[in-house]
Amino acid sequence: MAGAGGEVPLDVAVRALEAVPAGVDGAQVTASRERSLVQRFARSEPTQATSVDDLSISVCVVRDGRTGSSATNRLDAESLAACARSAAAAAEAAARSGAPAAFPGFAKAAAARAHHGYDLDTARLDPRVGGEALSTAFARAAALGAEAHGVWTAAEVQTAIASSSGLATVDRVTDALMKVTATAPDGRSGLATRAAVATRELDAAEIAHRAAEKATFPGVPVRLPPGEYPVVLEPPAVADLVDWLGRLAFSGLAYAEDRSALCGRLGTRVASPAINLSDSPRYRGTLPRAFDAEGVPKAPLPLIQDGVAHRVVHDTRSSALLGTTSTGHALAAGGAGLPPAPMNLVLVGGGAADELELCAGIERGLYVTRLWYTNPVRPRETLLTGVTRDGTFLIEDGRITRPLVDMRMTDSVLGILGRVQALGGRSVLVGDDHWYGRRFASGVVCPPLRAGAVRFTA
Amino acid sequence: MLALLEELADSASGRSEYADVRHVRSRAERVSTRNGRVEAAAHDEEEGIGVRVRVRGAWGFAAAAGSDRSAGEDALERALAAATAMPRGSAAQLAPEAPVRGRHVAPIGEDPFAVSLDDKLAVLLAAEAGLRGDPRVAVSSAHFLAFREERAFASTDGALLEQVTTDCGGGIAAVATGDGETQMRSYPASFRGDVAQAGYEHFRGLDLVGHSARVADEAVALLSAPRCPAARTTVVLDGGQVALQLHESVGHAVELDRVLGTETSYAGTSFLSPADLGSRRYGSTAMSVTADATTPGGLGSFGWDDEGVPAQAVPIVREGVLRGFLSSRESAGQVGLERSGGCMRAAGFARQPLVRMTNLHLEPGDAGTLEDLIAATDDGVYLETNRSWSIDDRRLHFQFATEVAWEIKGGRLGRMLRNPSYAGVSPEFWGGLDAVCSEPAWRLWGVINCGKGEPGQMMRVSHGTAPARFRDVQVGVA
Repeated sequence: MAGAGGEVPLDVAVRALEAVPAGVDGAQVTASRERSLVQRFARSEPTQATSVDDLSISVCVVRDGRTGSSATNRLDAESLAACARSAAAAAEAAARSGAPAAFPGFAKAAAARAHHGYDLDTARLDPRVGGEALSTAFARAAALGAEAHGVWTAAEVQTAIASSSGLATVDRVTDALMKVTATAPDGRSGLATRAAVATRELDAAEIAHRAAEKATFPGVPVRLPPGEYPVVLEPPAVADLVDWLGRLAFSGLAYAEDRSALCGRLGTRVASPAINLSDSPRYRGTLPRAFDAEGVPKAPLPLIQDGVAHRVVHDTRSSALLGTTSTGHALAAGGAGLPPAPMNLVLVGGGAADELELCAGIERGLYVTRLWYTNPVRPRETLLTGVTRDGTFLIEDGRITRPLVDMRMTDSVLGILGRVQALGGRSVLVGDDHWYGRRFASGVVCPPLRAGAVRFTA
Repeated sequence: MLALLEELADSASGRSEYADVRHVRSRAERVSTRNGRVEAAAHDEEEGIGVRVRVRGAWGFAAAAGSDRSAGEDALERALAAATAMPRGSAAQLAPEAPVRGRHVAPIGEDPFAVSLDDKLAVLLAAEAGLRGDPRVAVSSAHFLAFREERAFASTDGALLEQVTTDCGGGIAAVATGDGETQMRSYPASFRGDVAQAGYEHFRGLDLVGHSARVADEAVALLSAPRCPAARTTVVLDGGQVALQLHESVGHAVELDRVLGTETSYAGTSFLSPADLGSRRYGSTAMSVTADATTPGGLGSFGWDDEGVPAQAVPIVREGVLRGFLSSRESAGQVGLERSGGCMRAAGFARQPLVRMTNLHLEPGDAGTLEDLIAATDDGVYLETNRSWSIDDRRLHFQFATEVAWEIKGGRLGRMLRNPSYAGVSPEFWGGLDAVCSEPAWRLWGVINCGKGEPGQMMRVSHGTAPARFRDVQVGVA
């Protein structure tokens, strides 16, 4: 399909590559076209609808082991040439600076495997599909006496890479997400969310109903004192923790720089034997991707097996620091400014039927739907703090009894995973709903879990 | 460009209740060095047209790359289709605003985009070399940032505007490791430093080279410093931490879209309500806060916001009492304000405007310098440079950590403390404010990563603050 202004991403990438001045040691051009639709709502009324169609290129040039880069969404010949010249000039300035070389060069071209991450119906981005989903959500929330807030969104992203090392490849993906935060008249809220490759997987009625059930769960919220409690975490809460773990502990750059929690611990037990975590770009239910930002094909990578840490993830730059090779986890060509990270995390489920069965083993504890505003306190310890939100309940004698006033968790992710007692058998994709910058859909596939103790500080 | 935008607005006027059209050209330069090597030398630019329409009370927004008529017409048609496909929206009227025509160029000294990359790299590499004297410094880094935005705007109300802003800044950081411990020090602020609406002179004036040895020494010293103990005590915050405290526990809480519940699903709501205006006690009488989009050098300064409302100074808190909100034309209309506070801002061309902070300031007090304030404090902790932040979705319960702290004993700084943190509840915490340093200690702090909205938008804002003292604060919580 043609991109913005009728342009085909790979054609644009090739033209830009041809415009790179002679005399450089290597170059990669990435052309990315985003077509996206985001429909937001609040208090069961539409609030915003954003439609984006943009094709941009990024040129990364290598000169004497130093990189320079430049990006533009102006696609005329002179603009592409100016962008290429700008990247080359930056690489040359870096080479002149006297700083040691940092980049070994782009990987040789390698074939990426096909995946299931594209849906033609979703790529049509029909705003009426979203509009109908909103109306359905409003009605379902109202049926339980609640209002619906949230977002329905779909996107198609085409990414083409052309490089001086012979790469000329295209990846096409679609993604869809619906999130409903229902609010009850007393102010309590409940969350339900669903992410997938295709919009047809988003059941607005079911999502809104689950959210509204939480918001209107009977009882007056009670307050628990700070302390350690057993918890059942729903997939959105689990995904938040695991996503942070991927960025903090499994970054090859942090590992190479002696900042990772896994420094000196690869090959040792870092979590409960029930924990099996991998980066699996073609796992059923994930948002697949064919290659990383440096064109390195995506492949499954075991990170934790039976509680034992095995690998960290690398891009070209971080792997060079340790004399190894990229694992296909670059987020930016040349590694400029963005450390490598796993973007298709899969936490393998266990034997519990569902969240209610997980609750059955708890005498007094917390049921947590999601965490909010989690941020690292001490990255090396994977110590995070964040607040429960949109569906926090008291578990008494093995069942959910009352809503809870939200609490602040401050605990180590590895510590929590070390105290996991059971996992649910049904994993779901929890989509990242931030979409800062250009659309780059990702998510964590994970089940709910029960941890024996989690520290709540307020 | 203005002629095209005006034509597009005219085309939208018969097909919508209101529409505005923006063309934005953005440039950014990011240069960084890490461990003696050039980490990034990047120049990015983008341009496009964004069209926002209101149909049956529902908003539709569409963005298209480029600057020609076909891009604008494509965006207009998609915006109308998006709005039309939505269920019927709010019946609230937009607060009235007289249409303005004009041009605003934010003054700067030296154009940062005209300075050679060689010069910038030389400064960064020299500053960073000064961080690496001790082998326990595992990571040294230095950063330069520059941004320019050229915006043109037309609305169906008749506004026709152009403006240009330029932002520039940078910083350094050292990460020291040893015995399983990791500690960081930054200058002049964490997370890539300090940025202002200014030219290269701001970056040059930071004197990164001159501060590098102290930053490295403190990072290494933190490895063996005692932990900040848990206690309820008096806390003195440096201006940078006051800025983040203000940002998180006041700035976001007074965004009127959050107060009205329209950001519930993502950013969250607020513990405030429209009825609190004029009566709700937010803090002590030492607390006066102003949102001022006219502050020279502020990242939130402009001629007009992205609805064409002129920049203005809005009192938010006066002597501890809530006096204002950050508002848009729609949210102002919903609560019956006479006009918008001029706080609608959009990141780039491909995002629609949201209620955002402009420059939110804590007005200076009369406590003199930081040294004066420390001298006037018998017992407590002085905390400096943000390291971590988290606050609930109502902006009520927060927990922050800083890079470093020092004991205060008998009016003097004592031992350095590692891993300092503190927590509180917004109005109670601001109620404990009993001293703010004086005007000479007051300065702007840039925040370049304020996130909000779906799709997400990063906004640059500034906070004018001075060091301040808070009583009865829980520290050592993490």
